[in-house]
Amino acid sequence: MIWGSILGITFVVALIILYEWPKLKQGSKKEKATVVVLTGAGWLLAVLLVFFPEMPGPTDVIKAIFQPLGRYMEK
Amino acid sequence: MINLYFRKLTNILLCICLCFFMLLLTGCWDRTEINDLALVLGTGIDKTDDNKIQLSVQLSIPKAMGGTQQGTGGGGSGKPTIVKKATGSTIYDAMSRLQEKVSRKIFWGHNRVVIFGEALAKDGIRKDIDFFARHPEPRLRAYTFVSTGKAIDILEVIPELERSSAEIARELANFKIGMSVTVKDLLQMLNSGADSAALPWLEINPTEGLRVNGTAVFKKDKMKGSINDKLTRGLLWLRDDVHLATVTIEPKNTKGSISFNLLRSKTKLVPKIVDGKWQMIAKITTEDDAVENDTALNLMDPKIVKDLEKQLAQRINQRIRMTLNLVQKDMRIDVFGFGEAFHRKYPNEWEKVKGHWSEKFPEIEVKIDSKAHIRRPGMSTEPQGIPKNEVKK
Amino acid sequence: MIEKGRISAFQMAIMMYLVVVGTGIIFIPGITAKYAKQDMWLSPILASLAGILAVCTAFQLHKLYPKQTLIEYSVNVIGKIPGKVLGLIFLFFYIRMNAGGIRIYADFVAGSFFTETPLIVIISTMILVCAFAVHGGIEVVGRTSQFFIPLYVLFLLIIIILLLPDLDFKNLFPVMGNGLMPSIKGAITPQSWFAEFLLTAFLLPFLKDVNKGRKWGLISVFAIMFTFVVTNLVILFLMGSITASFTYPLLTASRYISIADFLQHLESIVMAIWVAGTFVKFSVVYYAIVLSTAQLLGLSNYRPLVFPLGFLTMLFSIWGVANETESSSYNSTIFPFFSLVVQTLIPLLLLLVAFLRKKSGRRKPN
Repeated sequence: MIWGSILGITFVVALIILYEWPKLKQGSKKEKATVVVLTGAGWLLAVLLVFFPEMPGPTDVIKAIFQPLGRYMEK
Repeated sequence: MINLYFRKLTNILLCICLCFFMLLLTGCWDRTEINDLALVLGTGIDKTDDNKIQLSVQLSIPKAMGGTQQGTGGGGSGKPTIVKKATGSTIYDAMSRLQEKVSRKIFWGHNRVVIFGEALAKDGIRKDIDFFARHPEPRLRAYTFVSTGKAIDILEVIPELERSSAEIARELANFKIGMSVTVKDLLQMLNSGADSAALPWLEINPTEGLRVNGTAVFKKDKMKGSINDKLTRGLLWLRDDVHLATVTIEPKNTKGSISFNLLRSKTKLVPKIVDGKWQMIAKITTEDDAVENDTALNLMDPKIVKDLEKQLAQRINQRIRMTLNLVQKDMRIDVFGFGEAFHRKYPNEWEKVKGHWSEKFPEIEVKIDSKAHIRRPGMSTEPQGIPKNEVKK
Repeated sequence: MIEKGRISAFQMAIMMYLVVVGTGIIFIPGITAKYAKQDMWLSPILASLAGILAVCTAFQLHKLYPKQTLIEYSVNVIGKIPGKVLGLIFLFFYIRMNAGGIRIYADFVAGSFFTETPLIVIISTMILVCAFAVHGGIEVVGRTSQFFIPLYVLFLLIIIILLLPDLDFKNLFPVMGNGLMPSIKGAITPQSWFAEFLLTAFLLPFLKDVNKGRKWGLISVFAIMFTFVVTNLVILFLMGSITASFTYPLLTASRYISIADFLQHLESIVMAIWVAGTFVKFSVVYYAIVLSTAQLLGLSNYRPLVFPLGFLTMLFSIWGVANETESSSYNSTIFPFFSLVVQTLIPLLLLLVAFLRKKSGRRKPN
């Protein structure tokens, strides 16, 4: 199941790259780099989430910052 | 060249994707075919001896349902519904056991009535009502009842006029002769500060079939007692739930009685706190038409009508007093919505008595201020079938 | 300029209406009922102040830096590095907001209708459709919203009208029985939805008639306030004290409709219009995200970023949010304050700095 998910994620990511690449031909290097980095990051994150669904993320940082105010609402 | 190769590859991939999407178009994960469903028409909940729940559901048999719709009596197609039962610790638990016996997926979307058995009602209904508000299929519009004896017996009644006994119960609730309480109303009653509820009392009469006869009165979620048909009228007057009513009075100074058909009525509960004394003024206005007159009174006489209006109002007062005596003074259960009325008008004072409302409630002085208007004498003027000279002026 | 399409101020108003109402109508009634009880209809009125503030801030900033979006002029206002950092904060905020919104939508659909469909399928299909719309540019998003709005409003009205026979107006009282505090508390969550009007900062540069921008923005705020007040009132009249005990009160209310035992089971209409509304919402926010990223990095075309960013949004909607309870608690206790800082306080400070700069006249607008 895990490998199936990873395969699915890879397939989706590959599809995104394949879809965008022809249009990026005329674009600058910066654009290509952005797309590759963003998609790569997406792939990495997705795979990590498959292995560690409970992985702490930026949401937890936000929660930690605003918790004191949030507690007021919980009252 | 590479560009072209890429384009070709993407095109092929896109085509594969499109084919794949076509598969998705046939439906989603939650595809359900109507012929795979068993529609629940009514639910009965009873208590078993070992403190579990016996769930009984009335399922419609589609073939027979269609048959009875056309001919009278349903021809030879047999019963249009079946009743199945199972026990479990919660409703859903019982349902999963029930599912083992039913070849189609049990579907709650058309559940019209929920009937609590008497024993269960005395034990408390709160834990069983949650399912009907939480599961995505059942609707809050289902009517709730308490039955004499076991709820399953009600579901098993073979009806005469309607297609199923659940349908009868729903129609009876729709008429609003007695209390008519949906799951939503029940939740509201249980959630209000008055901590009480009133549900219609459903009875099986061996000769007449189903009948709503009185009201079951709940303290918190436990049934404490019941009041009969007559007293229920008083309850309905106070709750502003009177919709279909006939009032028959026996006028003074003459023989016989007159029946009135209630057109509309409005009850306004006006709470008052005067010098720390809590009062409730019930302002009732009704409009009636005369439908039957076997007295010698001439209903075309304004003076007689005025007098009758007064007697009619008195009659309503009496009814309400009777109910109040039993429910307010003896049972001490606020099913009239007095608590809510005080909460709305005096939120601060209400905060203080909220905790011990059941002690405060019987002390409330109730004033009834009812006005009856007889709008029309009906299709006849003077009493029919008696000589002119005997008509009273 | 990166975007060649143009929309009208009226289209912007419609888009913003659906941005706020789209997910708001699923989530807001329940949460205001929880805090404000029978005063839940007051909360949207108080909350709309945040919307008015956001519209005015965005419009003033745009006046000082015409033809620029929030991301572009924050660099001009506070300098290159801080401006980029601020841009990143906005970007993260909007990705998280969109992910949170799509999670609300997906939990709603999965919880009430498609109980067996995996969440990820609901999320990804919605993002895919939005991605196509965003790929088409601002004009496409504007026109789809214009197409959906009559249906949206009509069906909402039908639901409300059909509920009329079941309403009990007594439920309104006592008005402010516990003072003003509960309704203020109930307004905290809706204000973050109204503050989404800051998104106009991304749309104003593409208006054909910029001078009407503020007027239509404010009209939109009032329309939303009116919608929320009316729906909250209807729900309150129907359910009274038990409103807060339902996850989706408006859905529950629409399921209660039964006219003459004939007109019932209308909730699929509710779902249909909500899907349409949320679609516009995600498209607009999605567009702002994609545009900001492109502008932040100084790219000349934003379209290649649509799918990668959509994929990231999808991941954010499941990352760190294990279940609906967590999502709901995040949206009612954390997100309102996060929004208050990012969508209200920071833009106000930005405006203040921009104002002072202009006044001292040391720097000319680009």
